[in-house]
Amino acid sequence: MNLTAMHFLTRLLAIIGLSAIAVSVAPIALGATKPLPPNYTIVTTCGMVTDIVREVAGDKAKVIGLMGEGVDPHLYKPTRDDVVKILKADVVFYSGLMLEGRMTDTFLKVSRKGTPVFAVTELLDEKFLLEPEEFQGHTDPHVWMDVAGWMEAVKVVVRSLSDLDAANAAYYQKNAERYLTELQKLDSYAKQALASIPTERRVLITAHDAFNYFGRAYGIEVKGIQGISTESEAGVADINKLVDFIVAKKIPAIFVESSVSDKNIKALIEGGKARGHNVRIGGQLFSDAMGKPGTYEGTYIGMIDHNVTTIARALGGQAPERGLNGKLTAAK
Amino acid sequence: MNWSELDTWIVITGVLICAACALPGAFLMLNRQSMLGDGISHAVLPGLAIAFLLTNSREVLPMVIGAVAAGVLTAVLTQMVQRLGQVESGAALGVVFCALFALGLILIRVASDKVDLDADCVLYGSIETAVVDVGRVPRVALISGGLLLVNILLTLLFYKELRIAAFDPALATTLGFNADAIRLGLTVVASVTTVLAFESVGSILVIAMLVVPAAAASLLTHRLHWLLLFALGFAALSAVLGHIGAVTLPQTIGRWFGQSDLGATSSAAMMAVAAGGLFLVAWLVAAIRGWTKSNPVKPIETTMSPASHR
Repeated sequence: MNLTAMHFLTRLLAIIGLSAIAVSVAPIALGATKPLPPNYTIVTTCGMVTDIVREVAGDKAKVIGLMGEGVDPHLYKPTRDDVVKILKADVVFYSGLMLEGRMTDTFLKVSRKGTPVFAVTELLDEKFLLEPEEFQGHTDPHVWMDVAGWMEAVKVVVRSLSDLDAANAAYYQKNAERYLTELQKLDSYAKQALASIPTERRVLITAHDAFNYFGRAYGIEVKGIQGISTESEAGVADINKLVDFIVAKKIPAIFVESSVSDKNIKALIEGGKARGHNVRIGGQLFSDAMGKPGTYEGTYIGMIDHNVTTIARALGGQAPERGLNGKLTAAK
Repeated sequence: MNWSELDTWIVITGVLICAACALPGAFLMLNRQSMLGDGISHAVLPGLAIAFLLTNSREVLPMVIGAVAAGVLTAVLTQMVQRLGQVESGAALGVVFCALFALGLILIRVASDKVDLDADCVLYGSIETAVVDVGRVPRVALISGGLLLVNILLTLLFYKELRIAAFDPALATTLGFNADAIRLGLTVVASVTTVLAFESVGSILVIAMLVVPAAAASLLTHRLHWLLLFALGFAALSAVLGHIGAVTLPQTIGRWFGQSDLGATSSAAMMAVAAGGLFLVAWLVAAIRGWTKSNPVKPIETTMSPASHR
């Protein structure tokens, strides 16, 4: 071994030594279960979870939602500040069923370190959940599309908060009852509005497979162009089959989503045009994220109201232009 | 900013993982295979799909095993295409990873379209969340440290062989060892490093660290051991500057535009940006040295240029 190589070796060994020292210092402190302080903090993931937690927690807690409007929760990458918020949170609620992808690992670890962590979908009955036939256990996560499913989620929130903060349990119960009544109204409105669409036109065609629960709950056939995974691509055969379907059934409108690209939808419209059937874009639906914070569409109720009203009106059903509560932004 | 233990661990893990990638990255650059990491980030898809079809699970372990297998396959196939097809190494990699990625898309479309199975969802970790762990030391820091250690040991053990295989394969044959075998070994090690690093910190940081520190170092020196040390140094510095930048820059820049509530941005991405910044600095230093000195650092000559016997 020559002199240069010797030097090289000593330097590298020094680096190894330094990294070993670095690894052995300053571990992240382990948290322990503690009683909730007044005005405690709740961290939530996607907007749909944030909204129901806010409704139930009322003014007793500060609710911080990590994902904003138009964010695809499958692909969301948390930043350092998000992780700090999760670590400092007194309670964490997430959606679950793998909606948050690998962030789920982080929630499990935070939970093992002592922070109460809940998946709002954890109480749903197995019979309620949709699984692809070939792959048992890999559940479709888009449960909020069926209002009845999200009502179960509200029950998880109210039960968890009442357990953790027994002093305010009655307050949470009252909030939840009021909110569940509103959701019940929303559910009836959705059933009624979508049932007013002529039977043969009760078909919802969208960009990706997010509306299966919606379809089951409100009796509307759902066809997504691409699969659940965002990596999946629609083939030419898929597009042609859908165009045949649209032309044969004279479907008047198909829909784009706020968090998914609409290039496949445009291909369908062009395909229909070439066959002499004009199908139009019936509107933009909210699938994995809600509208702008502060607007009606930025709440869970507003989001579903918007979807239901848009679909019903575009497919020839009866629904008031401003929706259930008369608060929707009028269609352009 | 409020520095916390979280930041300390992000920086430690970042330094370890960046250095672990920069070391094989330097040799890949000398062999003109810098884009191997980028290729692998696409080529893992069929590995994920097959692992899912065999185990019906999206847990991390089967996903990593499938991805490692696909990564090693990429390295082996690339070498084969390069040898048999007599094409340049970048072109061989292009052929292989595109074919594998397309195979992955077909597998997903045919077999598992009802399950969310993209690399972003089931494989790529993120450095910010990976350091949150139950134990005293986060698992990701141990993995990164282990990777760095193994790569340093392999470099020391095969230093002479790697150098000769990169600069003068003909001499390797004369000395009685197979340059192709060494280069295959290098790409296999680099593939495994890449996939394990993907699992820990996501794709963009890893791809950047395989390429940029080595490229920056090559502007400043043409001695191999200095090249490796510079690359390690640049990698470590990128990790430190990157994380600090991710936490402080959005606020600073936001203030210029009258927004004060901007939070931190992605640390992994800022580490890659910092590496780019360091490359720019290295280039400026090299350029100034070129103007002021009579013997500037010449570009490194590699196997692809004929007559590099010195």
